[in-house]
Amino acid sequence: MRVLLSLCLVVGILLAQTSPEQKRLNLESFEKVWTTVRDKHWQTKPGGLDWQAIHDEYRPRAEKAATTEETRAVIQDMLGRLHQTHFGILPAPVYSVLGDDSSGDGTPGIDLRVLDGEAVVTDIDPGSPAELAGVRPGWTILRIGTTELKPLIDQAMANPAVHELQFTRSLLARLSGTSGSSTIPVTFLAGTQTTLLVNLKRAAPRGELSSFGNLPPMHVWYESKRIGASAYVRFNEFLDLPHVMASFQTTVNGCLARTNNPTSNSCDGLIIDLRGNPGGIGGMAMGMAGFLVDKPNLRLGTMYMRESTLNFVINPRADVFTGPVAILMDACSASTSEIFAGGLQDLGRARIFGTHSAAAALPSAFERLPNGDGFQYALANYVSEGGKALEGNGVEPNVVVKLTREALMAGHDPVLDAALDWIRGKKAP
Amino acid sequence: MNRRILIATLIAGALFLIGRTVFAADSLPTPDAIMNRYIEVTGGKKVYDARKSEIAHGRLEYTAIGIKGTITRYAAVPDFYYASLDIEGLGKVEMGVNKGIAWENSAVLGPRVKTGEERGEAIREAVLDSTVGWRRLYPKAETVGTETIDGEECYKVVMTPPEGQPLNRFFQKKSGLEVKTTTIGVTQMGEIPIELMVSDYKNLGGILTPARVTQKAGGQEFTIIMESIEANPPIPVSRFDLPAEVQALVAKGAAAAK
Repeated sequence: MRVLLSLCLVVGILLAQTSPEQKRLNLESFEKVWTTVRDKHWQTKPGGLDWQAIHDEYRPRAEKAATTEETRAVIQDMLGRLHQTHFGILPAPVYSVLGDDSSGDGTPGIDLRVLDGEAVVTDIDPGSPAELAGVRPGWTILRIGTTELKPLIDQAMANPAVHELQFTRSLLARLSGTSGSSTIPVTFLAGTQTTLLVNLKRAAPRGELSSFGNLPPMHVWYESKRIGASAYVRFNEFLDLPHVMASFQTTVNGCLARTNNPTSNSCDGLIIDLRGNPGGIGGMAMGMAGFLVDKPNLRLGTMYMRESTLNFVINPRADVFTGPVAILMDACSASTSEIFAGGLQDLGRARIFGTHSAAAALPSAFERLPNGDGFQYALANYVSEGGKALEGNGVEPNVVVKLTREALMAGHDPVLDAALDWIRGKKAP
Repeated sequence: MNRRILIATLIAGALFLIGRTVFAADSLPTPDAIMNRYIEVTGGKKVYDARKSEIAHGRLEYTAIGIKGTITRYAAVPDFYYASLDIEGLGKVEMGVNKGIAWENSAVLGPRVKTGEERGEAIREAVLDSTVGWRRLYPKAETVGTETIDGEECYKVVMTPPEGQPLNRFFQKKSGLEVKTTTIGVTQMGEIPIELMVSDYKNLGGILTPARVTQKAGGQEFTIIMESIEANPPIPVSRFDLPAEVQALVAKGAAAAK
């Protein structure tokens, strides 16, 4: 993705006037979009349409288009006929907004979200350069290097084609670089008036490096702790399967009823924090759900692909935690996180706290078109057990709780607090 | 006139004879004949009958996503089966059949006991003498036609079990070897069209065996490369015991049924 975005920065230029060469590229882009939908859409009749007839209808319009903008509008209009999300064109200039010039996997150890139009630090990795430099949750990031963030945020937020997950990741990428490389100057607003310039080092990300097939190796971490009588777990990716699944099992087993008191759980509830978790191996959603669901023959949902339909079934384990389960989510919870949370919500097995998820249940693909625009398309459809397509819709929390800068500055996590309150309420007579 | 009739009769007779000859040449052999030939060219019934247990070792390659693994398979008459796959990044997947219980235990999905058609399919696959004893497993079988695969004409045999999905098996006319199988795989996640291409026949443990099996299912493709098969090794019965997690599920199911 970074390579793609960097490439977009270099190549992404807006051509308002259409030369014969540009017209050819625009028509090639039209054909590229049309054939991609024809060949890769999960339905052989995309959107129930006669896709060849759609081509015959739109091709003359694409030929008549005088500018790149007009061609883009024709393609968007054609994709709009699908009435399906995650099919869209990202104009080359928008790609530029999302671009970053970072390289390497070093990070200062900051997590951030855009809250009320500002990039706010939401979490600091323990022992990270940011923690050692005294950076605190709730601080607003004003500038990274020489780049003012506010104009970037305003521009991105004004464009509905830009997803919050995508944009947040692009901001985080601006902080990253090679581990141990020169520091990056970051300007923070600490409190209401204090502006601080901090030169942040970069270090290897938190967690253990884990490989999976052709994916680049990624750092994966898992943490669990007790908060009062509740168990709390958080992990950054659905990857490093042997380690994460075993750790989750250990956490759940720690919550199970004692043998001398089989009617009660040793935890009042289990909180699974998936905020910022972009997903990973889809099967892990089913595997983890098996520790929480004791009825057989249930499923999280169904994935529809062109060649087959896959049910995301749950295999109840021999020992299952049957107490309250709260899942914390936000706009950066995507893919497997949404499949897991959405399915358990539909089954009435979990209550979701936080904000709307990323609505990216599937790894939709981005491709560069010959004319420089970006083309996003979904490869399959995933319908959660309740009948709702997660792709493009996401998971709606049962309890909407937004993070605020003020709460973070005061050391509070209102989303976690709401989940803890609910579990305490379930326990109360 | 008579000549014309004679010629016409001769032509008609010739056509009739040609027709009969073509029909005789194209008449399809029975499934039994095709399977008998397959058994013969791969080692002979005597060798198959002598096989009472085997241990196989191989590799698994999932090229498109860059995942590799190893596979070890134990089998013993009549239908004891245990296989273990170690897959990079996904951990261990075990599966087996013991006394009618078909099970699976994976790091991803956990333990489970197979039921219905999926159980039936697993038990059929566990039968060690399924090649010579195929008729017991597939009472209904028919040679339905021919198909050209990789330039070679093949007989298509449809074998239907008492319960479950039929197998479409393709045997080369020339060599008698099986080259392809298609079926609908009944899995816990749904019914998935499966295509198995088998090739690279090698003498493994005394039987000519496809050392390369490429499976296409659900838009995914992976290959199993069999490296060795040990014939009739001693295998302790405990090798086929259900893992503790599966035993716990069986016990839980039995308790729930009471």
